[in-house]
Parts: sequence; C-alpha cells; structure tokens
Amino acid sequence: MSNVRGGQALIRHTWLSWMQHRSFFFLLAFGWMIPPLIYLFVWATAAGGGTAGGMTRGEFVTYYLVLIVVNQLTYAQTNWTVGDLIREGSMSRLLLLPLSPLYNTLATEIAGKVVYMSFVLPVTALLALWLRPALALDGWQLLAFLPALLLAWLLRFFWGYWLALLAFWATRADALLALQDSLIFLLAGQVAPVALLPGALQVAAKALPFRYMIAFPVEVLTGALTPAEVGLGFAVQGGWLVVALALYRLLWSRGVQQYTAVGG
Amino acid sequence: MRDGKIVVRALSKTYRVPERAPGLGASLKSLVRKEYREVPAVRGLTFTIEPGEMVGFIGPNGAGKTTTLKMLAGLLHPGGGTAQVAGFTPWERSPAYLRRIAMVLGNKSQLMWDIPALDTFRVLGEMYGVPPAVQRETVAELTELLDLQGLLQRPVRNLSLGERMKCELVAALLHRPAVLFLDEPTLGLDVSMQRRLRRFIASYNRRSGATVILTSHYMADVAELCERVLLIHQGLLLYDGPLAALKAQLAPFKLIRVTTTGGLNGGQGLPATAHVVARENGKLTVRVPRGETAAVTATLLRTLPVVDLAVEDPPLEAVIDQVYQEGMSQ
Repeated sequence: MSNVRGGQALIRHTWLSWMQHRSFFFLLAFGWMIPPLIYLFVWATAAGGGTAGGMTRGEFVTYYLVLIVVNQLTYAQTNWTVGDLIREGSMSRLLLLPLSPLYNTLATEIAGKVVYMSFVLPVTALLALWLRPALALDGWQLLAFLPALLLAWLLRFFWGYWLALLAFWATRADALLALQDSLIFLLAGQVAPVALLPGALQVAAKALPFRYMIAFPVEVLTGALTPAEVGLGFAVQGGWLVVALALYRLLWSRGVQQYTAVGG
Repeated sequence: MRDGKIVVRALSKTYRVPERAPGLGASLKSLVRKEYREVPAVRGLTFTIEPGEMVGFIGPNGAGKTTTLKMLAGLLHPGGGTAQVAGFTPWERSPAYLRRIAMVLGNKSQLMWDIPALDTFRVLGEMYGVPPAVQRETVAELTELLDLQGLLQRPVRNLSLGERMKCELVAALLHRPAVLFLDEPTLGLDVSMQRRLRRFIASYNRRSGATVILTSHYMADVAELCERVLLIHQGLLLYDGPLAALKAQLAPFKLIRVTTTGGLNGGQGLPATAHVVARENGKLTVRVPRGETAAVTATLLRTLPVVDLAVEDPPLEAVIDQVYQEGMSQ
C-alpha cells in the first residue's frame, strides 16, 4: 500500500493519544522491567567477585541492562489487541478505511515505543550509574547491533501477529501468545544468557526464532559473539522473519475472507 | 454530481452458525464434532438506486438490513448474486472504492477517544488523501452546519452522545463520499438531536448529490428523510416504493376522531364498513376505508353534536408493526 502520508498521520496522532495516558504506560513499562532486573541481581550475586558461566558481575549487569532496553523496544504489545479487534467486531471499522489495518497496529507499536522509552531509558541510565556495568564497545558491534535490533523487533512483531490472526478462526487464540511469551522467557536470554543454558536447550534456543527476538542483538552489542557467529545469527534471524512475513500474509488474506464470510 | 449508482441483483447471504444443545454433555460432544445450522439472512434482493437518491431500509431486527448494508460497504462477502456500487464490486475492497464510500454505524465509533475530534479528522483527511485546504474548508462547513463550534478541540471522550454522533458524521463526510451508508445514525439520541441530525442529512444529500442509504428503527427518521423505502423482512424484499404508498397499501383505512358535547347516541346510519374503535367520555373513534372517509364524516357531523373532528392516518409505527408481526398480506 502506498498510503504513506495516511500512515504517518496515524502514527503521529496515535502517539498524541497515548501521551494522554503516559503514567499508565510508565507503570506497565516498570512491570516489564522487573523480571530481567531480578535475574540481573541473581546472576550478579552468583558471580560475586569471580565469574559464573564465564561471565563477571559487571558483564551480567551490562547484559541485563541492555536486555531491558531491547526487550522494551521489541515487545509487540499490539499482538494482544489484534485478537480483540477481530473478536469484538471492531475490525469492521478498520476495514472500511482505504488503508491496511496493519498500519493501525504499526502506529500503535511505534507510538508505544516512544512513550515507553521516555521512561525506560532514564531509569536504565540511573541503574547503570548505580550498578556500574562493564562494557567495552567496538564500532562494528554497534553497527551490527542496530540492524539486529530492527530485525528482532520485526520478527517479534510479525511472529506474534500471525499467531494473533488465528483469532479469525479460534476465539481464544491469545493462549498461543501466552505460550510464546513463556518460550521467549526461557529461550530468548531472559532467565539466563543463551550461552549458559544446558546443552539441548541451548541448541533449541539457537535454532528456534525466540532468541533472535531479544538475546541476539544483546549478545551482538555486548561482544559475546564472534563475527562468524554474528553472521550466522543474521542468517537465522532473517530466515525466521521471512517465515513470519509469509505466514502473516497468508493468514491475513485468508482471515479477511473468513471474517467477511461470517460477519463482524 | 457523482456516480453513486447502486445496482443489486439477486443478492443473498447465509450465515453458518455453530449450534449445540445446553448442558455439559452437549458441550463435550461439540468439542469433538461441531454442528452448524444455516441461517439465511438475505434471500435474493434485487433493486437499483439512482445517484443522489436517499433510500430507507426498514424492517424488524434480524430482517437482513445491516447484512445488506455491510455487503454493499464491502465488509461482507455475499453468498450469491451481484452488486455494483459507484461502478465497483464492493467486496473486492479496492482502496479506490473505499475512498468513495462512508459508513456510519450508530453503535461503533470511528473517532479516537483520547484526542480532540479535530485531530482524528486530520488523520482521516490524510488517509483519504484530502488536500489540507479542502480538509479545512470541509470541516469549517460541516462545523457550521452541525453547530459544532468549540467542541472539536475537546477530547472525544468528554463529548455527549449527541455531540459525538455529529463528529462521527463529520468524520464520515470529510472525503465527500459518493455513497453514504447510515446504519441507525440516531440510535440513543434525544428527539431534538434526532431532528437536527435528520435536517443535516437531508441538506447534505441535497447539496452534495451523494447517494444515501439509511436504516433506522425510528420511523420518524425514515418518514422525514426518505421518499423511497425498501421494506425487508426475513431477508426478502417485501416492498420498494414511496413510503406514502406503502402506508396506503398496508393500512387502507383512516381514523376519524370526534369529540361531542355529550351524547353519543347518534352515529346510526354509518356504513357497515365503518368500525367503531373506541367510545368513551363523549369521544368516538371510527375506522373507515379511505374511500368512504368523506361520506362517514358527513354522517357523523349530521347525526352527532360534534365540537371537534379530526381525520388521521393510523400511526406509521402501528402499520409497520403489523407487517413485522404478520408479514404483508398482499
């Protein structure tokens, strides 16, 4: 769709709308920071003066502080509301507009990121001042981090989106989203960095899409990966994104047909 | 001014609804094998609406009015038949088509709740590709017509239902659609707000030349706005024509109400077709076939000490209710 101006206007105004409730979203963002913070303290304590799984206390602090920001930036909260739009028939309203409903969802996503970041970034900066992370930043790490982050967001967004679109057929498709969140918690580097997971779990984490939604960009930035590993990571990440996009397109066109067949 | 012609041929739609008996056993059974029932909602509608016409869909709840409207707006795929609206097949949902229509649903809002309506108008204007100057002009014009001064800067959630409905209309008309679908636009509004919206819709239709289809349960809406009505009942088109003729066809009689100085002993000599509906406190109501109204009135005036006399049509609601209950006899 070429309606870029419409999309831009929508994003701008969704953001204005969100700023009306910023304190609510700040509280949400605070809630989402808590689990990684807990694991930060657990691992930092485990490392103590030495190392745990080969990582020092300072490295754990860096890893988790970056993870907090990456998690917020890639979290696709609209995945939870797409199903409601379909179930409650509000999708009809969006289908009347000469603009794909995907724009509406993307507008909410981007508006949300700006609102959340205005809270998460200062808080993370304060935590960094207090906890003193150890970060030796290379130019190429930062350069690779940005595309890895963007792809991570797109992957997490579209992966959740195609799951959410199952609501066209099943009333409670959001149970699958809850399952996805659990898998992300386990396999995307939240409970522990992927490198510290036991054998079989680590293999699964590297093959499945979830690591590439959060942990991969964090590992890229914190220098945990060799250039070869980064290259392989991009390939797997890109591959899963293609799968997610294909599933989204398929389910969207079938879903709208189904929706307009049964009535909203 | 625009080609908002609507041509509908043998349009039909059947819903497939899951069904199960109440109780735990049936609930478990439906887990294994779901049973569906076919519910025909629209059964072979055929009609043509000329550009600029304003037409009312009437019929009881579940008659198929909204289903028809949704098919014409591209929100529903029909089960059979064809439709052309402004030269497009609605359910192909081409952006060019969606730019030419607008739909107002009395029970759903198009506006963003947390920001002023003016901001939503700007978003919609951009989405529909309306140049900013035209947007400003249209909003100013509609604001004036709908008396919205001072309300557009408030967050939509702080507006009353009536004020919000007016804003919904502005939002729908911003891109000057050639075809406007109004589904229960006056739902829940008070009488004076209903009248103002009606006046606005009528004048908009006149000035813009847009085709308007309206559904409403308030007969006053339809009576005031639509010269032509389509009566839909159980998915079938029972009547298509002027409202006045529908009334004459459905209720081929008039009511004569007389107030007398007291005695009601007169009134003899009325034709057998005249039927006394009520007789109390010096008031008499007689139902007569339309053709005999004059003769019966003369008889009543001659034989009773009449102080007041009124000849009325039966209320439209009562007539329509009769169809809803019994269907059309013709």
